[in-house]
Amino acid sequence: MFDSQENSTYQLEPVEDNQFVLNLGPQHPGTHGVLRVILHMDGEYILTADPVLGYGHRMQEKIAENMPYTQILPYMARMDYLAALSFNQAWVCVVEKMCGYEVPRRAEYIRVLTTELNRISSHYLWFGAFLLDLGAFTPFLHAFADREMILDLLEEVTGSRLTYCYFRFGGVSSDVDDSFLQGVQDFVEHMRSHLKTYHELVTGNVIFQMRTKDVGVILPFDTWGYGLSGPVLRGSGEKYDVRISEPYSIYPELDFEIPVERDGDCLARYMVRMREVEESLNIIQQTLDKMPDGPVRSKVPKIIKPPAGEACMAVETPRGELMIHVVSDGTKVPYRVRYRVPSFGNLSVFSRLAKGQLLADALAVLGSLDLVIPEVDR
Amino acid sequence: MTFIEETLEGLDISVEYPDSALTGIDAQAEVSVEQIRPLSRTLFYAGLFLESVSAIDLIADEIIEGVYLFNHYEQHVRLKITMKTDRTTPKFPTIGDIYPGAVWHEREAGEFFGIDFEGSKDKRNLLLPVETTFHPLRKDFKRPEQAGKIQ
Repeated sequence: MFDSQENSTYQLEPVEDNQFVLNLGPQHPGTHGVLRVILHMDGEYILTADPVLGYGHRMQEKIAENMPYTQILPYMARMDYLAALSFNQAWVCVVEKMCGYEVPRRAEYIRVLTTELNRISSHYLWFGAFLLDLGAFTPFLHAFADREMILDLLEEVTGSRLTYCYFRFGGVSSDVDDSFLQGVQDFVEHMRSHLKTYHELVTGNVIFQMRTKDVGVILPFDTWGYGLSGPVLRGSGEKYDVRISEPYSIYPELDFEIPVERDGDCLARYMVRMREVEESLNIIQQTLDKMPDGPVRSKVPKIIKPPAGEACMAVETPRGELMIHVVSDGTKVPYRVRYRVPSFGNLSVFSRLAKGQLLADALAVLGSLDLVIPEVDR
Repeated sequence: MTFIEETLEGLDISVEYPDSALTGIDAQAEVSVEQIRPLSRTLFYAGLFLESVSAIDLIADEIIEGVYLFNHYEQHVRLKITMKTDRTTPKFPTIGDIYPGAVWHEREAGEFFGIDFEGSKDKRNLLLPVETTFHPLRKDFKRPEQAGKIQ
């Protein structure tokens, strides 16, 4: 069952004189999770970077082959613990698509409202952690104080703080009340004014600019060659966002921009995410204004048996395009489930970007990719 | 003429167009093993990005079906390419030298299904431990009694 093959191991010996192998991780604050990178170094410069994955591997695709559709739902949040609601949404949407379930309007609005809140909280955690990588501690405290407000709001409706399991087939598990909506309104107003502090504190800072400008530039060929998506892609000038390209839920009815930057460096990726926060605030404001009354859950059968066939469903998570491909054989467990996770593609470009960089710059690049390792490992 | 028809012109591939509102797939085609490399080169120069390389174990028919999903940043067409291989010694040609991002997808499909991606420079396991030789996504996979015990 297990045997060691000669070509299956990782190169850990120095290639030439004056060179050395540096093992980064699996436990390292710069990798944001259990990621190990084997670096071949020449002094402070990286010759090759070889990421080693699988420390958080749980074989989610096999788990999904052995479970009824309903029971797979809680596993979604465990893949990307920072954007659990986006993953929730992808799974409920793909099953709704296969079975043709209707979703009440109010439920769609609640879904978009909570998912966008989740997107902001994910971007704030990234903001804090990224700046921490670059050596700035204060922004982290600002970001986490604001993120705490979102977690409190979402805890009120979903019952959990991170690994939400709030969406159901044909709706959401519970309705939101007026105090939650008022709380979101207050948060949006607070954030619109407080976002200026972020920009004053970080964006214009000379040290920050020098650490991120022209560092880790993604070339045009690499964007589609590596299958990049999300802010990493939009920082390189491609205007691709699943919310626009394959509209789902109520996004076609909402008015929002897709921020795009052309430079492709760490600063561009930073700017895209910060502008996305503003757009998410716009979306939240619109859903608050238009929130319809009515039921939040339609009637769906207890045992879900999609007809034989297949379906793909893509959603935009804070990190990019998540696509779930389900093949059903008409029974109550899926025949095959394939998760195409955004961080997988975004991490695979790292070896290319790190080549020839200083070690400190490579950590800035790694931070700017906004990786969630359990999502890559699944 | 749709974008996909224009792109695949002259490649002798018959494309079907399933209902994308129901399946999320805009175009699909089954190709032979020899066609995948010229096809993916065409797709790369047309600017399609690689969403996923994976497989399905169709144990009843004794075949493994490779599933390649492509999409385009501006045209927004999801193209599904499938090809079949024998289940006992599954082999596909690599597209890792055309799409650099495919290398990791192929490593993953290789370890999960035991598919040999011929010509690939990197065939190490990606997510499973490097010594592992079982293929968990095969339908006849049984959990080894000492799965946790890795030398």
